Amino acid sequence: MNVIPIGPINPIFKEPIRIKLIVEGEVVLGAEIEMGYVHRGIERIMEGKHYLKGVHLAERVCGICSYIHTQTFVECIEKISDIEVPDKARYLRVIVTELERLQSHLLAVSMYGMAIEHETLGIWCLNIRERVMDLLETITGNRINMGYNVVGGVRQDINREMLESIYSTLDSLEEDVKDIMEIFKKGPLISLRSKGIGVIGYREIMKTRAVGPVARASALPESDWRLRHPTYKELDFKPVWTEEGDNYARSLVRLKEIFTSIELLRRALELYEESGGMVRKKVDIKGGAGEWRNEAHRGEVTYKISITDGGIIKRILIRSPTVMNLSAYKYMLKTCPTVSDAVATYVSIDPCVSCTERSIVLLDRRTGEVKPYFK
Amino acid sequence: MIKEFFRKRSIHVCVVNTGGCNGCDIEILTLIASRYDIEQYGIYIHNNPREADLLIVTGPVTLPWKDRLKELYEKTPEPKVVIAVGACALSCGIFKEGHVCGPVDRIIPVDGVIPGCPPRPAQIIETILKVVPTSIAERERVVKEEISQ
Repeated sequence: MNVIPIGPINPIFKEPIRIKLIVEGEVVLGAEIEMGYVHRGIERIMEGKHYLKGVHLAERVCGICSYIHTQTFVECIEKISDIEVPDKARYLRVIVTELERLQSHLLAVSMYGMAIEHETLGIWCLNIRERVMDLLETITGNRINMGYNVVGGVRQDINREMLESIYSTLDSLEEDVKDIMEIFKKGPLISLRSKGIGVIGYREIMKTRAVGPVARASALPESDWRLRHPTYKELDFKPVWTEEGDNYARSLVRLKEIFTSIELLRRALELYEESGGMVRKKVDIKGGAGEWRNEAHRGEVTYKISITDGGIIKRILIRSPTVMNLSAYKYMLKTCPTVSDAVATYVSIDPCVSCTERSIVLLDRRTGEVKPYFK
Repeated sequence: MIKEFFRKRSIHVCVVNTGGCNGCDIEILTLIASRYDIEQYGIYIHNNPREADLLIVTGPVTLPWKDRLKELYEKTPEPKVVIAVGACALSCGIFKEGHVCGPVDRIIPVDGVIPGCPPRPAQIIETILKVVPTSIAERERVVKEEISQ
């Protein structure tokens, strides 16, 4: 038995994480995951701060899914203090969330293409993603870390020109993603490298509580939290799912979700044009505690907040999707024949390490003692 | 002479995320897309510190990275240049009160900085092209003097 350490700096990883693969020859037997490289203690910084500062800190939990974190944070506070958001703002939130989902899923498919050494697919997806980023920039003013959400609405309205540019870009985007879908279904290299590799079944999903596209690729459509969101109920949303549970199914679910997102966007834009009024309203914060869940691009994200009357955050707890998906990764390794397949499987769950690392403990290797970390 | 000439036009890059929010990394990753196409300037991102000329560091330096970043800097062969990208790498930014050791220039020497949260991809290319060729030539001269003494 040999141990192959991968990371924290590796061509295939976007973020620092260390995976120790236990191998015999080239057959992968198991894996050990070492984390803690990106822990910054965001919850600790937030304690005792005003909620307006908390929105900006929640945005910097993760760079790829920055918008959905602020939305969950804001909606949690709105639930605690019984604030009703104007209709226009609710639809604008759906529009920006789904645009961000488009770019995140395109990036995930592109990284998977790079991991199975199909660089053409990777570069094509990145090129399509740039157009989505342009839309996000025209709506919110920034490409990443947009700062668009506030408690009681959103910061800015969109105008007629932006609406038309969104409609026209969505049409061209749909055609391009259809092309990529055909390449994905018919390309011989992709199905050879990804069908039947990294399989995870229903029982293991229930054991590890995996969420998001990982669960939906193993026949669990009810894991989509958009089904329970009040705004999405108006939009008549149906989740995408497959049964196979391998790498191919996970990437296919992401590609199919792009089409659902485009349809949701069109419906939300129609409803936005029908509604009128302001995009933001004045709020007064009541104290209390509460919990809110949303479907982020990788699975469900939970925020538990307790807050005082003036709006000072007392305690906050964040749970992000990759925690569960990484523990499901250990079960996927049973059907990975080689080391490169194990790495491709790791990329196929679309891990986000900076979301994941929410707590830190110090382990003394000599005595085996585990202590909490204080600065 | 020939070596110096070509060094300026073939820059190998290693991206090190020392605990940032991932936003700067994504902006660096988009540089390989056809719109920006960083490879036409002779810059190649491959994330191997042992072959790199340029270390791009993003994020505040967290606790486990403090020693690792020094090790990584020593692993990289001379002449080498370090560029810190993003507000966190310059001053720890929004994470100043968190579990971090400090900005990057407190751990390793930094040649160029790009402020912004995150900076735009065009800014990153511009800074690399402006800073790296001159800094590499300067660094090579310093190393040669040290060897001759």
